[in-house]
Amino acid sequence: MKLFKKFTVTALTAVIAVTASFAGVAAAADTLKGKITINGSTALLPLTLQAAKEFQKLHPKVKIAASGKGSVTGPQAVKKGIADIGACDWDASMDVPGFKAFDGQVANKVAVIPFATIVNKNVGVDNLTTAQLAGIYSGKITNWKEVGGSDANIVVITRAFGSGTRVNYQAKALGGGDIVKKEKNYKETGSSGDMKTAVATTPNAIGYIDLVYVTGSDIKAVKHNGVAATTDNVINGSYKVWAYGYYMTKGQPTGATKEFIEYVQSKKFQNGSLKKLKFIPIAAMKG
Amino acid sequence: MGAPLQSLASKAPKKAEHSILNDKRHKRHLLGNTLSRYYFFFSILALCFVLGLVIVFIGKTALLLFGEVSPAEFFLSFNWTPEEDIFGAAAFIVNTLSLTALTLLIAVPVSVGMAVLCAEIAPKWMKSFIRPVLDLLVGIPSIVYGYLGLTVLLPFLRRVSGEGLGDGILAAALVLALMVLPTICRISDDAIVAVPRKYRDAAYALGSTRLQVIMRVVLPAAKRGIISAIILGMTRAVGETMAVVMVIGNTPQLAKSLFTPSSVLTSNIVMQISNVEFDSTWNHALHMMAFLLLLISFVLILIIRVLGRKREDA
Repeated sequence: MKLFKKFTVTALTAVIAVTASFAGVAAAADTLKGKITINGSTALLPLTLQAAKEFQKLHPKVKIAASGKGSVTGPQAVKKGIADIGACDWDASMDVPGFKAFDGQVANKVAVIPFATIVNKNVGVDNLTTAQLAGIYSGKITNWKEVGGSDANIVVITRAFGSGTRVNYQAKALGGGDIVKKEKNYKETGSSGDMKTAVATTPNAIGYIDLVYVTGSDIKAVKHNGVAATTDNVINGSYKVWAYGYYMTKGQPTGATKEFIEYVQSKKFQNGSLKKLKFIPIAAMKG
Repeated sequence: MGAPLQSLASKAPKKAEHSILNDKRHKRHLLGNTLSRYYFFFSILALCFVLGLVIVFIGKTALLLFGEVSPAEFFLSFNWTPEEDIFGAAAFIVNTLSLTALTLLIAVPVSVGMAVLCAEIAPKWMKSFIRPVLDLLVGIPSIVYGYLGLTVLLPFLRRVSGEGLGDGILAAALVLALMVLPTICRISDDAIVAVPRKYRDAAYALGSTRLQVIMRVVLPAAKRGIISAIILGMTRAVGETMAVVMVIGNTPQLAKSLFTPSSVLTSNIVMQISNVEFDSTWNHALHMMAFLLLLISFVLILIIRVLGRKREDA
């Protein structure tokens, strides 16, 4: 009984000590205050939400509100002063096809997003070159036999204009080639999920998607110029179809916003939660 | 309401206390009546106010478009290439109208037929089965219909037609028809049930067959209800977005055949609005398309109301 009592007292003391020390740490970090509003890319949203959760634990006085709508709304919201951070799948401080540069905005790299070309499981083709893909998406190649498959019409599935995935895919996988709408065998989808379902259920279909979505047996990722779409190949530099995800800010970030971006870029977050969400740490890329 | 209550109150009192009690009750009733009248009045006023705001705000943004693009281009051009500043919405308008027409063409005969079956022909156990099933169908979210269309209907259409994709206004019309069917059917059903029994009895007494009774007596008598059922179904078909987006193909071009991947006003708005900059011509064009949808459903409702009234008079 005496032993038990002693044990309880020790345990209680320990708990109080630990709590006190934690409170001390929190109090020390509490100097950081502020409100961060984040808007933009839905692809980066899971990463943003996870980072916000962890950051708010460290700095309870910082309020973070994050939402996703579409890549271009990120820099747009920053420009209008609605958001402090605009998440965007491309570097919006530079011109990309269809979108002009946002002047005075700084692009902060936060993650690496790999993309993959996917085809329906009935398609016999395993490898496509940049030229072949550009031909398919510009409507010059319309039959699978022209790229080494069976005699069947290619069904092209693409994302709507302005999608971050589309912007990046066009720049990296098609070598800047156009995506041209066609009378038939051409379909636009509104989200990554729709894209996956459409390619999975349409025979002879080709599409493109974030690499993390490539699961299941109804779709398969094809090699790009002979290189398989894997995170390892992205890191070692042989697979070229990937892009940085950016946090756009008006000028250089300051205060809580700066701290938050630095937290997302920190080794701890990059190698921990970010990897768990199947993004690739920016430090893994050479150049 | 006031008059019968008053006469009741004046007949009832025999003793003085009773009369006071009734008087109090009467006043309470009057107060309740007045209050509820005000409540209903303000409800309708609030509704009109909100509707007005919606029209004003969408319209305001929409009309900015015509400072940048000529109405002639917007309404008459079939070329929608907003990334190159070409905003012709005629294809969407025509597609919306033809999709709605096709949907009704499929849904109305089937659903009115089912309503007749439910109300006139089916035995009791069948009615008590069909009606709850139809009510359930209304509650299914439209995106689920769209997903089923994408994963079940499209592969089927591909097999039947030999098309590569199968997307187009036929697929969209089939999905929409299934969605509006319970609405049209249940409201027509109620309208048919509400036709007084004596009409049928009289027709039968004159020696009509059952088909004659249904076609010549019951359906004409229930016409008003059936028409409002069709209106409700149609407005749902015009405005439906999520289910259509998944099966129509989303390519901004005129639907020249049943299987041409195309786009309607709603599906084009939902596909593009999140990828478009605020305050751009493109955004204003999308608002104009929303405004147009509002006008289209308004005009369609108006036309059918006028038609319904004319036939009623004749």
